[in-house]
Amino acid sequence: MSALLTVDNIGISFGGLKAVQAFAVEMRAGDLRGLIGPNGAGKTTVFNLLTGVYQPNQGIISLGGRRLNGLAPHQITAAGMSRTFQNIRLFGDLSVLDNVRIACHLRTRSGLSATITRAGGQIGEERAITERAMELLAIFGLGDRVDEQARNLPYGDQRRLEIARALATFPKVLLLDEPAAGMNPQEKRALRELIRDIRRKFELTILLIEHDMGVVMDICERITVLDYGQIIAEGTPAEIQKNPAVIEAYLGTADAPGVRKE
Amino acid sequence: MLRMKARSLELSPPAWTILPRNLLALVVILAIAIMMHAWVRPAVGNYYNRVMMDVGINIVLAVSLTIVNGFTGQFSIGHAGFMTLGGYVAAATTYYGSQLLWSKAAFFGGTLSSNTAESVFSAGLLGGGDLLFVAGCVLGGCIAAGAGYVVGLPSLRLRGDYLAIVTLGFGEIIRVLLQASGPQVTRTADIAAKNPFELTTALGGALGFTRVPIYTTQFWTILFGGVTLLVAYRLKQSSMGRALLSIREDEVAAEAMGVKTTRMKVLAFVIAAFFAGMGGGLYAHQLGQINAGELGFMKSFDFVIMVVLGGMGSISGATLAAIVLTVLPELLRGVAEYRMIVYALLLIVMMLVRPQGLFGVREAWELIRPLTRRMFGSGAKA
Amino acid sequence: MTKFLQTLMDGISIGSLYALIALGYTMVYGILRFINFAHSDIFVLGAWLSFSVALCAGWTASGAPLLFPTWLWTVLIVVSVLGPLLYVVERTALPALRSSLGPRVPHALAGGFVVTAAVWAWVLVGLVFLARATTASASFRPLTGVVILVIAMGGCGLAGYLIERLAYKPLRAAPRLNVLITAIGISLFLQNSGQLKFLFGTQPQKMPELMENKPLAVVAGVAINRVDVIGAGTAVALMFALEWLVFHTRLGRAMQAVSYNTRVASLMGIDVDRVISFTFVLGSALAAAAGFLFVMKLPGALRQPADTGWVLLGLKAFVAAVVGGIGNIRGAMLGGLFIGLLEYFGVAYLRPELRDVYVFVLLIIVLLVRPSGLLGKATVEKV
Repeated sequence: MSALLTVDNIGISFGGLKAVQAFAVEMRAGDLRGLIGPNGAGKTTVFNLLTGVYQPNQGIISLGGRRLNGLAPHQITAAGMSRTFQNIRLFGDLSVLDNVRIACHLRTRSGLSATITRAGGQIGEERAITERAMELLAIFGLGDRVDEQARNLPYGDQRRLEIARALATFPKVLLLDEPAAGMNPQEKRALRELIRDIRRKFELTILLIEHDMGVVMDICERITVLDYGQIIAEGTPAEIQKNPAVIEAYLGTADAPGVRKE
Repeated sequence: MLRMKARSLELSPPAWTILPRNLLALVVILAIAIMMHAWVRPAVGNYYNRVMMDVGINIVLAVSLTIVNGFTGQFSIGHAGFMTLGGYVAAATTYYGSQLLWSKAAFFGGTLSSNTAESVFSAGLLGGGDLLFVAGCVLGGCIAAGAGYVVGLPSLRLRGDYLAIVTLGFGEIIRVLLQASGPQVTRTADIAAKNPFELTTALGGALGFTRVPIYTTQFWTILFGGVTLLVAYRLKQSSMGRALLSIREDEVAAEAMGVKTTRMKVLAFVIAAFFAGMGGGLYAHQLGQINAGELGFMKSFDFVIMVVLGGMGSISGATLAAIVLTVLPELLRGVAEYRMIVYALLLIVMMLVRPQGLFGVREAWELIRPLTRRMFGSGAKA
Repeated sequence: MTKFLQTLMDGISIGSLYALIALGYTMVYGILRFINFAHSDIFVLGAWLSFSVALCAGWTASGAPLLFPTWLWTVLIVVSVLGPLLYVVERTALPALRSSLGPRVPHALAGGFVVTAAVWAWVLVGLVFLARATTASASFRPLTGVVILVIAMGGCGLAGYLIERLAYKPLRAAPRLNVLITAIGISLFLQNSGQLKFLFGTQPQKMPELMENKPLAVVAGVAINRVDVIGAGTAVALMFALEWLVFHTRLGRAMQAVSYNTRVASLMGIDVDRVISFTFVLGSALAAAAGFLFVMKLPGALRQPADTGWVLLGLKAFVAAVVGGIGNIRGAMLGGLFIGLLEYFGVAYLRPELRDVYVFVLLIIVLLVRPSGLLGKATVEKV
């Protein structure tokens, strides 16, 4: 079987700063890959490139044979790639349920006239959306908090709600940006199980940015390491742990540059 | 693409079947409107009748603005521009239409459009003039919606205050252009002789468009207000409405979750402008004239104030604010010259004491729901 | 050619007034990020104060000076009675209120602001008497205009100070929309209280001529009037003064710092509240100067305080600020001149009845092509 997501040699620069250079990755259906690197290495920028928030200066991104370059973020989501955000971006004033239901919107068909007249199966569609959202929330253990405002959820719940929301778009590829950030050890353990679980249940291909090495080494099959916008290593967790370039990037050497640009 | 469809939601589409349940709300609105017009109007007298019509018109405007400012979080302060545009179109339609059809611009409506008829059932409920009036309002709404489309386009590039300024600028441009239009043609023979296209520029200029036959009654304001509320409510309860709300909350995240933010923003402007145009039609046919000079941005501010005072995105809040802010100046009439000063001070104090508006972002019933749930258990599903 | 020069001159002299008003909008926006819709009413206040003080000083048509205009009494009574009252409230009732109602109860009364306002008001009253004295003496009579200008600027500065302390300061952390609505509330308040009988009344007035408006020179058939020269000169001088203040003084640097990043500025030990107050005073004073110069140039244009024509003038000044790049002081000056010229050339060479359209069309074009204005800097949102 050929690759589902192919990223070939993409790069972007802001002003003179080359934020990401020659980034390439190939993921087959069902892969779970980690993307790690020190702060400011360009990991989130890669996500922004993949999801269309930024347009790459060069290179090709394709999903299931379809080229994604030049598409708007919502088109990429519709094509089957969804994401979470490092700095949680929930719809804070809206209810937990609505947060997930919004992500179902792109799979709906009712237009304005159907919405206003409630005709053409609009009611059934609403019901289907709600059921779907409730199911997802139940999986994420948020089933009893559906009416709460998203901003009032505890931090860990907000992170999980973001994943649930991303899943509601029916993605083939899921990009998780530091899902474990701010979680306690117990929550992190549960999160690992959850990611394995949803991967199986929804037949997902997952690309994961994470700082917590415990999580990354445990669940990822392959890992890509980024530093200064460039790939410095690629391999299985065991290989990465032994790779001298990775160790140097993380620990630094005596003459390592002290200041990194964000 | 095929695979995408396979992954989309299971639908049960009995295509374009309008269930009776969907029409029930409309029937209820219609019934209320007729009853208010038939029994409440004669009972309360002219003054209260007028205030109630004002309330209805302001509800149309405030609730429609809620769709842009409250739901979508785009900041429009040119709403009166759409109102003016729709009002002129509607007024010109009935005035010139009556002249062309019946050779004079007089009242040709039924009892539902009459503020003077003793009993509603003394004559026909609707007349030919009503058809013209409603057509005029809808046409006004459509033209305003077209303008709303144009005004909505900058929202794709501009955010926050900058967008606000553009909407304000558009409102002012509409005003000035209408004030610079040619004089109103008043002689029936002249109107018949003119090319209908020429009449579209004969909108009265600085004097405003006058001698508009009066059709607006409580019936129409309640009907239009009710429909506006119904549309806003159904929108908010739907996937489409939630997509609008998501733009207000976080545009980047909304886009990432597959919401076509650009399209939805323009759509919000178009819907809001449509109802504002209809509201303008009601306004013109209530006063018997419409003057762009009186509908400047201060009028737009009135509606923005209603939206914010009601709570961003709260339909019930905007409705309540529209009622309060229409009735309040009337109550203050007793203190004549201090009226607006008191109003202004109340506004300032309100912003200091309750900055989130009457209901915050929620609806009145959402504030009550937790109470009922506690009382009756959590049986009901959202 | 004559027409061209005449239009150019009108455009510049009105444009410099737009620029003066625009500066107030732009400075407040630069620091607090909100559109101060009450600013145009400060401009109106400046115009009416100038008129009122001129009457009080003895420039009436009948020749007899008004002994004491009612607004003067009002100001004195308000400041002398309300001041101590507020002070007592602050000392007694406010702490109790705050503990029961939470942090939203205004902190606006804090500090010596009541005393400052009172002293300020009394100084202004003293200046009114100075204006009477200069009017009465033959040799100092031409100086009265300067005194009136100072009074108008001081009075509006005081008004701006009070508005900021009482209405905007408690909303520092509130959503911007709320601040905007408060600004509209203030605007309505100023307009309608100005209409009260014992203040300025509901009648349009005619400003007395403080100086003989004779042409200084005639160039290519266009008369260059004394009022125009002095007016434009004053406006330019004020702009230079502001430029110096903002870019070459400690306080100006503090203003720049606050406008760049309020939180960091306060961490750096800048008294942000003081800087904001000062910005309002400065902006209001400039608007007052514009009001004074406006009625000097067009004495018959002193319309009733709530007339919508005023608001439109203010709005155009605001457009000038946006076109120049809001938050940018030099941009506001440039934008003001630009708008003035555009308006007058549009009226002279295109259709005069569309005079307001030109300005707003320009606004929309600028915002679409270059949203940050002619001299503004673009900002990018970080994801």
